[in-house]
Amino acid sequence: MASVQISLPLPVLPEGWSAEKDFKAIGQLSQATDRNIEPVGPHFLAHARRKRHKRTFSEDDR
Amino acid sequence: MSEENSPAQRVAIGISFGNSYSSIGFTSAEGKAEVIANEEGDRQIPSILSYVDGEEFQGTQAKAQLVRNAKNTVAYFRDFLGQEFKSIDPTPCHQSAHPVQHESTIAFKIKDGADETENTVTVSEITTRHLRRLKNSASDYLGKDVNAAVITVPTNFGDTQKEALTKAAKEAGIEVLQFINEPVAAVLAYDARPEAKLSDKIVVVADLGGIRSDVAVIASRGGIYTILATAHDYDVAGTQLDKVLMDHFAKEFMKKHKTGGDPRENDRSLAKLKLESEAVKKALSIGASANFSVESLANGIDYTATINRSRYELLASKHFQAFTRLVTHAVEKAELDPLDISEIILAGGSAHTPRIASSLQSAFPETTTVLAPSTSPTALNPSELAVRGAAIQASLVQEFDVEDIVQSTHPMVTVTPHLSHAVGVLCISDSEESGVFQSIVDAETPLPVRRTAIISTPREGGDVLIKLTEGARHIKVTKPEPKPKAEKTKSDSDDEDSDEDSEEEEEIREKTWKVGKVLAEAALKELKKGAKVEVQINIDANLNVNCIFREVGGKGGVRGLLAGGKGQNGSA
Ligand SMILES: Nc1ncnc2c1ncn2[C@@H]1O[C@H](COP(=O)(O)OP(=O)(O)OP(=O)(O)O)[C@@H](O)[C@H]1O
Ligand SMILES: [Mg+2]
Repeated sequence: MASVQISLPLPVLPEGWSAEKDFKAIGQLSQATDRNIEPVGPHFLAHARRKRHKRTFSEDDR
Repeated sequence: MSEENSPAQRVAIGISFGNSYSSIGFTSAEGKAEVIANEEGDRQIPSILSYVDGEEFQGTQAKAQLVRNAKNTVAYFRDFLGQEFKSIDPTPCHQSAHPVQHESTIAFKIKDGADETENTVTVSEITTRHLRRLKNSASDYLGKDVNAAVITVPTNFGDTQKEALTKAAKEAGIEVLQFINEPVAAVLAYDARPEAKLSDKIVVVADLGGIRSDVAVIASRGGIYTILATAHDYDVAGTQLDKVLMDHFAKEFMKKHKTGGDPRENDRSLAKLKLESEAVKKALSIGASANFSVESLANGIDYTATINRSRYELLASKHFQAFTRLVTHAVEKAELDPLDISEIILAGGSAHTPRIASSLQSAFPETTTVLAPSTSPTALNPSELAVRGAAIQASLVQEFDVEDIVQSTHPMVTVTPHLSHAVGVLCISDSEESGVFQSIVDAETPLPVRRTAIISTPREGGDVLIKLTEGARHIKVTKPEPKPKAEKTKSDSDDEDSDEDSEEEEEIREKTWKVGKVLAEAALKELKKGAKVEVQINIDANLNVNCIFREVGGKGGVRGLLAGGKGQNGSA
């Protein structure tokens, strides 16, 4: 997938903001919905391979 | 009969097997999907078999037999496979061999042998014979014995129907490697074009066929497809458009030849009328007018006439509206808005009709691309989409053991968590003080997923805040300034009036975002002037989010991990 291009600028860091290693975890993702993906096409096959071999995207890249 | 072939001995093709037409296709050594023309030069082969003195005809030749030999001609049978007699609609077979109940299945009583005896031939056997002809046409073309196929089926084709089709194909010497859904095959056909770019989008496939119309709303995420909703209509399809023309020409004929009688009341006349009306309909998809010409239409009277496209469009407008409604209904079923739809792929033979494409285009916003021959110069032939998709899939799976294919299509692999909300970052816009949400991973994206975004920074560089949040798509409706009304007596004015009103002050609908849950914050410091920031988001199936923030071309960066709810309690 090509990267998403966002042309609006990021905000300036507010005065006094601080966090360990500059990262602050705040919330969790909402519950996901289980759906059936179609077992069709090259990208599905890559998905199935990763799932069956329990591999991640970066392991897959290598 | 063929046993399972080892992948090495396999010659696989794609088959689209419709009630009206079938097609065969293969993927060339260069990876290009091609549709095969049969011996008669047809790429859309009528799914019809006919028997004359023991000789079997298929396709266009069989279709011609509907005039003289309708009783021994079998048509519109695909949807009968694996069904019980009491659950089928035999209407499409009124002008050909009638389906009858036979034990627990459906059959046709036809004289298919050299003698005059009537045999009961099951729908399974008919299908086998039809598929065998398709297989032979493909084998002749390829110069190799075809023995396997990927076959497209409608999204609501049940397991017993698939089993029946598998069995019928096996009898024909075809091992079914996989069934794939027709609309998904259509999306794959488009995505497999060399110039296609992968993107995240919602696609609607409107498959308008001969005796049924099917719509599917599909989330396409990085080349992975999820069907969000489907809608089916068995009352409006190509047959009804033929009927419009049949009625028109029958009436014109009776006006001109008072003694001719109604050609719809005699079987043979009716069959001629139908064949020619279908041909006229197809001609009107390309030309501004078309000629109707039948020798001895009724009572020995030859009849020729001309119709122009606008007349036809007027006569059929009710049906065209019904197609549009079916599509908008499917979008509603998916709980989406027309603004969410990036593309409408028109598939199926009736999708050649220019007016159907333009009606859809006007029912959807300009941001929705309608991919049909009349609206897009780059559109693929709608009649070939399913078979192309099947041919591509056949080339993808033909090297696998059947066991591997079965495993990959098992719910263990296909049932996948999908994001319920979009995930993105907040950016600054001039119009609003607070941040505006910019989506990086869309809702309905299957997990795991990895997406990257490149984001602008303030002009002077420096320190920036990256706020990762969920976002909910919101349709913003702006009503124009109400105009003072001269007179308004009745509030519930009749339809015509309110139509005019709504045109005057059309509301503006826009797709915007509502910022949802805040997930994380990160800081990137001392960015160069004009720097860009890269944000990479990895979400696994347990909703753990792994993100990397860094200056494009810069060193270091910030990493963060957000544990998903599932991962926290579920891990062993
Ligand atoms: N160029 C054209 N213009 C208009 N209609 C066409 C054109 N070509 C084919 N059709 C119509 O499309 C219909 C067949 O569509 P298609 O081949 O997609 O059907 P199918 O999938 O086999 O059938 P079904 O939907 O009945 O299962 C027929 O009604 C045919 O007349
Ligand atoms: Mg069809």
